Amino acid sequence: MTRADPEYGHLSPLLERYATLPVDHPDREKLRDELVRGFLPVAQHIARRFSNRGEPLDDLVQVATVGLINAIDRYAPDRGTDFFSFAVPTISGEVRRHFRDLGWSMRVPRRLKDLHVSINSAVSELSQSLGRAPKPTEIAERLGVPVSEVLEGLEASEAYRSSSLDEMLSSEQGSATVGELVGEADAELDRVDFRQALRPVLAELAERERTIVLLRFFGNMTQTQIADRVGISQMHVSRLLAQTLDRLRTRLDPETRVG
Amino acid sequence: MSDLDSPSPADALDGASTVEVRTSASAALIPTIRAVASDLAARADFDLDAISDLRMAVDEACATLVDVAAPTSWLRCTFLVRPERIEVHAQVQTKHSEAVVSTDTFGWRVLQTLADDVTVHHDPGVDGAGPTVGIRLDKRSGDVMR
Repeated sequence: MTRADPEYGHLSPLLERYATLPVDHPDREKLRDELVRGFLPVAQHIARRFSNRGEPLDDLVQVATVGLINAIDRYAPDRGTDFFSFAVPTISGEVRRHFRDLGWSMRVPRRLKDLHVSINSAVSELSQSLGRAPKPTEIAERLGVPVSEVLEGLEASEAYRSSSLDEMLSSEQGSATVGELVGEADAELDRVDFRQALRPVLAELAERERTIVLLRFFGNMTQTQIADRVGISQMHVSRLLAQTLDRLRTRLDPETRVG
Repeated sequence: MSDLDSPSPADALDGASTVEVRTSASAALIPTIRAVASDLAARADFDLDAISDLRMAVDEACATLVDVAAPTSWLRCTFLVRPERIEVHAQVQTKHSEAVVSTDTFGWRVLQTLADDVTVHHDPGVDGAGPTVGIRLDKRSGDVMR
């Protein structure tokens, strides 16, 4: 993505003109709209990179668009930097701030919110390199912080807002749901004696909840493996599993649980 | 379940750090117990999967027990933190000795998957002590791919 990019190249002269127009110039509004529309795919692209963290993609695109507008307003071509090298961090920064400020169901200090973000990314990197979920000491070592802080951060993660259970992998039309991408756990289910009672209840669950439950309890996969497969974080899998078990517990007739 | 019936520290400790939580046998208090479980596992440096598994297993075990508990009785949950594993004993008093935890349910399947070992203990009760039901869980700190 440079100025020579055929998709955005035609916008460069507009950017330069926009930057030179005085604030009250009548053409400014129209030019700004045109720039926002033109660069919108960039904002959408960045929003999508954050889409597996439990926030609806539509919201992320909106936040990213606000970031894009800020970037367009603040960009100064005469400083010699390419628009993208200025806009991309501005937009991602806006999305990050959104996660930090809005994703929490409980008041959590800023320091812990930031820590939550670092822990999340350390967890996904370490899971990859270790092939299993990391331990708090391993996360602490990776981040260069005391274990006690990691423990605090993990505790704070419990306060992170639960997300929609019916979320699609991407909000694009016709996008596959998680359940369409993974399915073999059903064979395991057939071997379970109490499937009669369980099957209808499972059928009521959203596709993704069902898939995660099946993979965990009938597909013998760990949360980290499921996270990798389904494309969400381990902490998110953990939250979804806990919520779903809770729902199953209330839905399954007590008779089937207690003899 | 003798170690729960007569929880003398000398019996229960056998080298493990022991934490016991006793609440009314009410579903509303289970979140407190599971928070203790996940805190102990995190401090014992369990991997994140194991922490979350233990948390859910304790949740499931306690919910199962609360279902069969006698009204106004206690739920007692003892955690024995050993190197590389945590053992959990959860126990309630039941009204009748016929109140049992059955093992052919989805809930039991959940417990078997989440814990490395799980057993149920029914005690008919002697000498005026009411009948009890307990679930004992063993969770390793991770490493073993399940």
